[in-house]
Amino acid sequence: MSSLCLQDSYDMFEMNGEVDVKMKKKKKIKKKDRLEGMKKEMDIVSVSKSLTLSPLLPLKSPQGLTSSKAAEVLERDGPNELLPPKGTPEYVKFARQLAGGLQCLMWVAAVICFIAFGIEFSRGTLGCFDDLYLAITLITVVVVTGCFGYYQEFKSTNIIASFKNLVPQQALVIRDGQKNQINAMDLVVGDLVEIKGGDRVPADIRIIFAQGCKVDNSSLTGESEPQSKTPECTHENPLETKNIAFFSTTCLEGVATGTVINTGDRTIIGRIASLASGVGNEKTPIAIEIEHFVDIIAGLAIFFGFTFFVVAMFIGYAFLEAMIFFMAIVVAYVPEGLLATVTVCLSLTAKRLARKNCVVKNLEAVETLGSTSVICSDKTGTLTQNRMTVAHLWFDNVIHAADTTEDQSGQSFDQSSETWRSLARVAGLCNRAIFKPNQESLPIPRRIVVGDASETALLKFTELAIGNMMEYRERFKKVVEVPFNSTNKFQLSVHELEDPMDLRYLLVMKGAPERILERCSTILIKGQEMPLDEQWREAFQTAYMDLGSLGERVLGFCHIYLNENEFPRGYKFDSDEMNFTTSGLCFAGLISMIDPPRATVPDAVMKCRHHSLPHCDHPITARAIAANVGIITEGSETVEDIATRKRIPVEQVNRRDARACVISGGQLKDMSSEELDEALRSHPEMVFARTSPQQKLIIVESCQRLGSIVAVTGDGVNDSPALKKADIGIAMGIAGSDAAKNAADMILLDDNFASIVTGVEQGRLIFDNLKKSIAYTLTKNIPELTPYLIYITVSVPLPLGCITILMIELATDIFPSVSLAYEKAESDIMHLKPRNPRKDRLVNESLAAYSYFQIGAIQSFAGFTDYFTAMAQEGWYPLLCVGLRSHWEDVHLQDLQDSYGQEWEWTSRLYQQYTCYTVFFISIEICQIADVLIRKTRRLSIFQQGFFRNKVLVSAIVFQLLLGNLLCYCPGMPNIFNFMPIRGQWWFVPIPYGILIFVYDEIRKLGVRRHPGSK
Amino acid sequence: MATLKEKRTCGQRCEDFGRFVWNSDTGAMFGRTPEKWVYISLYYVAFYVIMTGLFCLAIWTLMYTLDPYTPDYQDRLTSPGVMVWPPTYIEEDVILSYNLSDKTSQRKMSNCLSNFLKPYNDTSQQSNHNCTRGEYFKQEKFEAPHHTKYSCRFTQSMLGRCSGLDDPTFGYNGTTPCVIIKMNRIINFLPNNGTGMAPHLNCTILSGHENIDMMEYFPTNGTFDLSYFPYYGKLAQPTYVNPLVAVKFHLVKEREAKIQCRVVAHNIAYQDSYEPYQGKVVFLLKALK
Repeated sequence: MSSLCLQDSYDMFEMNGEVDVKMKKKKKIKKKDRLEGMKKEMDIVSVSKSLTLSPLLPLKSPQGLTSSKAAEVLERDGPNELLPPKGTPEYVKFARQLAGGLQCLMWVAAVICFIAFGIEFSRGTLGCFDDLYLAITLITVVVVTGCFGYYQEFKSTNIIASFKNLVPQQALVIRDGQKNQINAMDLVVGDLVEIKGGDRVPADIRIIFAQGCKVDNSSLTGESEPQSKTPECTHENPLETKNIAFFSTTCLEGVATGTVINTGDRTIIGRIASLASGVGNEKTPIAIEIEHFVDIIAGLAIFFGFTFFVVAMFIGYAFLEAMIFFMAIVVAYVPEGLLATVTVCLSLTAKRLARKNCVVKNLEAVETLGSTSVICSDKTGTLTQNRMTVAHLWFDNVIHAADTTEDQSGQSFDQSSETWRSLARVAGLCNRAIFKPNQESLPIPRRIVVGDASETALLKFTELAIGNMMEYRERFKKVVEVPFNSTNKFQLSVHELEDPMDLRYLLVMKGAPERILERCSTILIKGQEMPLDEQWREAFQTAYMDLGSLGERVLGFCHIYLNENEFPRGYKFDSDEMNFTTSGLCFAGLISMIDPPRATVPDAVMKCRHHSLPHCDHPITARAIAANVGIITEGSETVEDIATRKRIPVEQVNRRDARACVISGGQLKDMSSEELDEALRSHPEMVFARTSPQQKLIIVESCQRLGSIVAVTGDGVNDSPALKKADIGIAMGIAGSDAAKNAADMILLDDNFASIVTGVEQGRLIFDNLKKSIAYTLTKNIPELTPYLIYITVSVPLPLGCITILMIELATDIFPSVSLAYEKAESDIMHLKPRNPRKDRLVNESLAAYSYFQIGAIQSFAGFTDYFTAMAQEGWYPLLCVGLRSHWEDVHLQDLQDSYGQEWEWTSRLYQQYTCYTVFFISIEICQIADVLIRKTRRLSIFQQGFFRNKVLVSAIVFQLLLGNLLCYCPGMPNIFNFMPIRGQWWFVPIPYGILIFVYDEIRKLGVRRHPGSK
Repeated sequence: MATLKEKRTCGQRCEDFGRFVWNSDTGAMFGRTPEKWVYISLYYVAFYVIMTGLFCLAIWTLMYTLDPYTPDYQDRLTSPGVMVWPPTYIEEDVILSYNLSDKTSQRKMSNCLSNFLKPYNDTSQQSNHNCTRGEYFKQEKFEAPHHTKYSCRFTQSMLGRCSGLDDPTFGYNGTTPCVIIKMNRIINFLPNNGTGMAPHLNCTILSGHENIDMMEYFPTNGTFDLSYFPYYGKLAQPTYVNPLVAVKFHLVKEREAKIQCRVVAHNIAYQDSYEPYQGKVVFLLKALK
């Protein structure tokens, strides 16, 4: 808490009174009782149990532990460090990458290939090495994509490394009555340690002596407000109480001595860390989609394969041949290139996001953002600037708004009033904060200040308004100062005046407004002192309430010129005795401060108007911030608002009327998970205040239970469990702690909430584009499959070989399918509702049916037309081909007659078969060019989208054609990849079919645009 | 999310599937009402009928453009393949093996050859033209009856001692077996590019030199007479027969040899390791005791 008197700390101080500080033993018993009741709240709180159970003997002995005792405890408890969670062994992770759905299918295919190779090799069949090559290719594909995936995962799983860094190197410990600098790792429970400003707290310690000690708990709670630490126990919750300092937090100023109560993993931060690592990673929606898709594909592949296996056996093929058919069908059906396509598409988007300062750690998270339906945002640092800023002033009976923008681009208020000059003088003088030296070149808001948040805000504010404050203070020499304390709740200082002729002293005071007002008898209005009558008091109350209801922290300011006679120069002011006037002062005004929202936030919230739940620190503040940035929209009311409006008690308000709702951590604690679900369901706008890490987790889980895809933003260690649990965790790059960054899937480098919107946009785009890519990839499965079906049933020479299929899948078609990721959005995707993960699948029935049975069918017809053309022009009429298979493939038949009576030896026939592979390949390529063009859009006509706008796609088509040419005409190809140099005109045979595909799809799109919603 | 992942029991899955098969609420079968199924089936039927129609049209056009006498391209038939008769394979290799003491194995070989030579008997060849030897028999016009071209006569008897006329066993009853080498026919193929040199067969012994005493070629010099070239195709020359060369081997000692028989002409390739039967044939001749 700051040194000033603040409203929200007020209650806490009242409670102090109840606790008898001196009666330590009693207190302990009392605490224990309370603890029993609290245990249910959360694990973390149970730390306070050990607080009482742990040996507090050293409290009595300032000697500290003896070395031998310490060694004994160290032996028992282990070193004071966070242990890494038991991770999965690396080889298991790698193995997992190799054992996905598609991969398993490919393994099976490879094994069948090996078996076929083995049998054929033992028989000495010519051409049996094809099977071996095929098996090797399949395995290579699986292993390479596996390595890629493993590498991705490896990069993003080093969570515990940063926790390790949290352990300070050294700690000052008192053992055997002597101060020693020891490694913090060796600290044990019961050790007496000293901390001073700038140190990291080496373990959870219970303060037994403190002098002006303040710690920054932000790494733990997310609150950047320094917390003062005193030996008194002020709260039953260890996170709130003043006498415990936590491991990994930083001591900002002062000194303290304390007893170690917890070390290593038993510390609060250790518990959070283990909570975070204990939370399993949710499967990303895209992973679920791909799994769903793989299930379908695998099912269909095995179904087709098995059907044709049976058919082949029935027709009279040998078992081995039937097995080879089965394998070929599986190979033809499995989209080998899909894994690579998806990975590359996602990495591209990740790269694009990185350019906009979003670093994506987990690739699949990119898409998750797009389907996010709930954003849980942490207030401090994410929505707000995480620095106190003067927001409003009240003087001359008017509330003036100050400029709170980050870059001081806002409007300023009228500064001509005399009262303002006095108020600014008080604010500037009665202030202990100072700028760190040598920062003149920096803009004022970015300069580093030594002092607490409120004083910093005031210093920066006056520096902006008046000018060089350091010099200003020089002119008003400070004579005496009474620092803030919790009983007075004010701070005052006495200064000499600027004018050397004026020998009066100026007393300036600031503090809790009501306390300040008590001491005033006059009020400064337009530079004139007016008696402080009832009317002014009421005006003061109204202003105070108004500012307070904005969730701002309000301070009162007053001053008085001390009587020259009574307090002549040289008067001995005594800060303890306060031997000077402290009442009957002149009230100057109120200044209120807030951690203002980031400028970009309201707009960003508007853009992604989903359902956002910020976890905030204080109910009113939370409410105010939420309203400010537009999370609670204008016109939405909370239950309390409705009650006030209708002037009825809160209980009578129908809870369903309220769109918005504010729930504090205390309320949340008492709610069952059903109640929470109900609350989430009935209020589209929710604000949670003062929640613990565990509660954040509960909220996220609750949202997920309701079927939402949850994004969580956060920066503190306290957010890390929720970040990990969320479908996508987003950490702040500048303010975020390492733990948060590690738990998150995405990091906003510029801490800008608006980047999330970009992320959502990109996520939705990638989903759309992946859909296009997959549709493109799926289509060619049919023209790859039908040759086998025809080959088996009609016994024509094989039109398309396995290796050719792999070349299509893994070489020529990869680039076009990836290029679809560069496609621009067809419409404003931010206006659409988030995807419903249960209904809007990546691959649905109509997409598959359209790709397979319409476009794929046309492609098959194109392939067969070209096939029969090539066969007929070389001498084999279509009707002759039917039933030719057994003769054609007879290795011992060297004079098979074609339709013209020419005699072909086996090798010539084989090369003719390769020619067929090649023309079929070319047909698929030509049709796939048409396919990639139609896939550019799903609703719009391609003429609306533009042919050449996607440059990558155009170059992909060129690349595809070049690669096709290379495969066809590079010498040596026939015996390596079974490609033959084919005649030029066979390239043109499938073109009419390509045009047909294009026209057919344009007609479909026209239909979709004319009759939206149907079919 | 959680809802997506919740483990459903088998019963629930079956129930869901059952609802998918028949949804009594909407009357939907497999996700669609029967009415919709009819519509969608009709659409697909129409789609496939049209596509098949287009395909047939394309094939018809293709056939329409083809010349019935000569193929458009002969990319794979630049050089003829060569094969030995009887074509008895063991695995990948041509192995002509017979047993001197086993009549059935001998008969198998000789029967194969006599069957092979059936089209070459004098009666079958009677109708064929008796061509002038030593020059190409080029025919620009269809002068033969039924709008065809003449084919040259090649009779069994031209194979001399390997004709099977004098010795129906083709030497397989002893150590002088005959093999017949046939070169594949290719339309408009002219050996030696029309220089007027006749291609001839040249057999070399790859291993087992000592086991072969002598080779005899029939017709003499193992020549494939030029008058059998060019070939005009099945439609123009329905009675065309390939010229043949028979080789009689005189086996001695172990009676086993690996032989390569190659048709020698400038434009007949034989060195491509990927095409073992192009321009040559390698076989193992074995007479067991």
